Amino acid sequence: MDKDRLLRVKTACPRNCFDTCGIVAYVKDGKIVELAGDTDHPITRGHLCSKGYAYLHRTYSPDRIKYPMKRVGDRGEGKFVRVTWDQALNEITSRLKTIHEEYGGEALMEYRYGGHRDLIAPLVASRFLNLHGATVLGGTFCDASEYAGFIYTYGSLQSVPDEVWSEHTKCVVIWGHRPEATHVHMIPFIYRARERGAKLMVIDPRISPLAAKGDLYLQPRPGTDGALALGMANHILKIGAEDAEFIKEHTHGFEQFRRLVDEWPVERASRVTGVPVEDIKEAAEIIATKETIIQLGMGLNRYTNSHNTVRAIACLAGLTGNLGRPGACCGFLDKSIQNYLTLKAKKVSFPDGAPINKTRRFVCITGANQAILSAKDPPIKAIICWRGNLVPQLMNVRKTIEALNQLDLLVVIEQFMTDTAGYADFVLPACSFFEQGGLTPPYGHRYLQAQVPVIPPLYESKPDIEIWSELGRRLGFAEYFPKGWTWLDWARLIMPEEIPLESIISPNGPYKVPQEIRPEVPYADGKFPTPSGKLEFVSQEIMAYGKDKDGDWNPLPAYVEAIESPVSSPELSAKYPLIMISALTPVRTHSQFINLPWMREIEGDPQVEINPVDAKARKISNGDIVSVFNDRGKLRVKARVTATIKPGVVNIFNGWWVKDGGCPNVLTEIFAGGPRALGNAIFRMDDYSPAGTKDGQSGAYGCCLVEVKRGVE
Amino acid sequence: MMSAAPQQLAVYIDVDRCVACYACEVACKQAHNLPVGPRLIRVISLERPRNNQVEVISAPLACVHCYEAPCVEVCPTKALSRRKEDGIVLLNRIRCIGCKMCLVVCPFGAPQVDVDGKMIKCDLCVDRLQKKKKPACVSACPVEALKFGTMEELSSMVREKWLNQMWKVKGFPQK
Repeated sequence: MDKDRLLRVKTACPRNCFDTCGIVAYVKDGKIVELAGDTDHPITRGHLCSKGYAYLHRTYSPDRIKYPMKRVGDRGEGKFVRVTWDQALNEITSRLKTIHEEYGGEALMEYRYGGHRDLIAPLVASRFLNLHGATVLGGTFCDASEYAGFIYTYGSLQSVPDEVWSEHTKCVVIWGHRPEATHVHMIPFIYRARERGAKLMVIDPRISPLAAKGDLYLQPRPGTDGALALGMANHILKIGAEDAEFIKEHTHGFEQFRRLVDEWPVERASRVTGVPVEDIKEAAEIIATKETIIQLGMGLNRYTNSHNTVRAIACLAGLTGNLGRPGACCGFLDKSIQNYLTLKAKKVSFPDGAPINKTRRFVCITGANQAILSAKDPPIKAIICWRGNLVPQLMNVRKTIEALNQLDLLVVIEQFMTDTAGYADFVLPACSFFEQGGLTPPYGHRYLQAQVPVIPPLYESKPDIEIWSELGRRLGFAEYFPKGWTWLDWARLIMPEEIPLESIISPNGPYKVPQEIRPEVPYADGKFPTPSGKLEFVSQEIMAYGKDKDGDWNPLPAYVEAIESPVSSPELSAKYPLIMISALTPVRTHSQFINLPWMREIEGDPQVEINPVDAKARKISNGDIVSVFNDRGKLRVKARVTATIKPGVVNIFNGWWVKDGGCPNVLTEIFAGGPRALGNAIFRMDDYSPAGTKDGQSGAYGCCLVEVKRGVE
Repeated sequence: MMSAAPQQLAVYIDVDRCVACYACEVACKQAHNLPVGPRLIRVISLERPRNNQVEVISAPLACVHCYEAPCVEVCPTKALSRRKEDGIVLLNRIRCIGCKMCLVVCPFGAPQVDVDGKMIKCDLCVDRLQKKKKPACVSACPVEALKFGTMEELSSMVREKWLNQMWKVKGFPQK
């Protein structure tokens, strides 16, 4: 077979990942025969990752949902019969109409997350949901608290691109991040910096393969990173290594910050974090004396104090003047491109002249299950779930299932029979990203790419835009969903003139966005978009935004122990002494890919990672079947005894499906990072910041105490 | 005694770069369209204590295409052979009887049992090489820990890497 005679199509990976790889698909007779990395992509450089190379296996999997199905057994029993699209859509619309008549528009809510990061179809879906008057789902469980931490300190969240800092920095700090699983294409840039002589410091309760290569690694107790940052700040001020000029010219509230830091001698920080005094001092001295890039990860979002953890780290960068230079930055992702594209997107989600209520009920996704259980006037009666798998991914699986059981209608648009699809009334076959168009602005780099339809929809699957448009047409909004409109028609509506659509579409792309959209060196002029125009050690915005809202609105990044920890919950800790984290593994993106045999072969059975000290105390040997449990639930998994995890901490990898028996959220409770209190997760859309960037409320999955016992009880 | 291949081809594994991301394993599955079972390349990770801390090493291990390959010597049906021009050890699956002797004698555990009971092993992606492409694992590696080339090319590369490291560590005088 001659490769040159194959159709070569460029597309981009839309998974929830920093890298947004450029992909080249080779197509023959309407079938993809090979996938490769796009060598034109300056960041992913022709390489994909384990997931990327599994896409053929996934797209052509015999387990794909091939046609619409209707539930015939009890909810969650998994018994379905095949129906036609027409029957499925007729019955769904008739039930939605009944629910609307009885309860009103807000009885319907979508459930969508980052399963597919294209932004066009969600805008079309929002158009329908806005017209219908549905409850709005928003916020994020990934990054919101961390995002808020930056907004309240720098006024924005921006990063120096990898290809820039790697040529300038003298030190790379990877903090609460596991790039080999979630950001693998950054690693060559770390290596490049090290070739130039830069140091590598990794801060993580688990020693990952990358951490082990570092010049220094710190293993704080999960959730204490804020105390670690304050301890470092204390040492820096004590030895006079701060950047006095930067502080004087570009910061606000330093004296108050200094008084807070005075309360954190390194010895205290060491006691709280479990990191040796000498290591805290060494880390602090490196950051203070070397031009440093601090790359944070999502791990810091997993605790109730995460907003102030990130505030403390952001202030540490300010204290040492590590900002505004090509080799000095503190950040974790950069949504400049997405935010820019969203500016023109309103005309899709809020069509001109349409009567849309903008003060409707709003639910923060982090507590979506609690919101369904709590909602009254009207209750939430119908969910359309797409691009997400809420059963294994929301905290507290028992509550999630309880919530689903009280719905009148659950529609799941899916490629596979996930946990959530198993609870559906109707399962609709979804297209993969090879079968539909889309636009996926990256949050890791600055190269924009589009997904063109590479092959026709497989089986009876339909593009997401078609499904939502059809629902809109059938529910009385035909004028807003012109027949025959494809992703391209919608894309033309939202693309700004300065980015020609053809420049991002195969065979073109990736397209480097200009400096005006994503600056190469943010804060280079020493100005910060905060109320004071400076970096705010004392946040004025947080006091203003939080004054009439429940939450932790301390203008200083004070350390508060996370809600469920051995220190804050001594009684619970007596029963359940181990902190359970749920880290990410390289072979899946959250709950995606784990159903594929290739990935299961690599990952093996569900495991709990436990330190040899904790294993020995419980007479647990490597490979033993153990119970991991607390008052919320119990898992039976294999023990992996490893010194790479901190004593007192266990890890069960995020993303295992409940039906596979390894889902860590069977054990977690619905806790969220600050600053705003989550409550029952119900708010109003005009009383919530875009994407939660001022409210925070990311999922505090790491606030979870458990015990592990050998054998099965 | 066999003669050394004039252009012995090989994959160099830079353990300083590998982070156990498994991209090579899955890319190999795609390239060879393999089912669950045979793993022609496999990432192995080890840990050991050092000064109150932990050292971790990871590396993807496949066939190293030996010069005096024990698998070739032991194969009773001559299904295994070493290609003269480039030293790639290839398995003729028509001749293979699935006796597994190659796996028994291989110091690296490289030969795998396929689902049909016959053996299967890394062929350095000979099909891709014909199209002037690198082996799938090498092309895939997102951290660029795998390098492909002739022994001469790889040897130069490693020497250059060593000199660079020494230069950085010892700070040889710089003009």
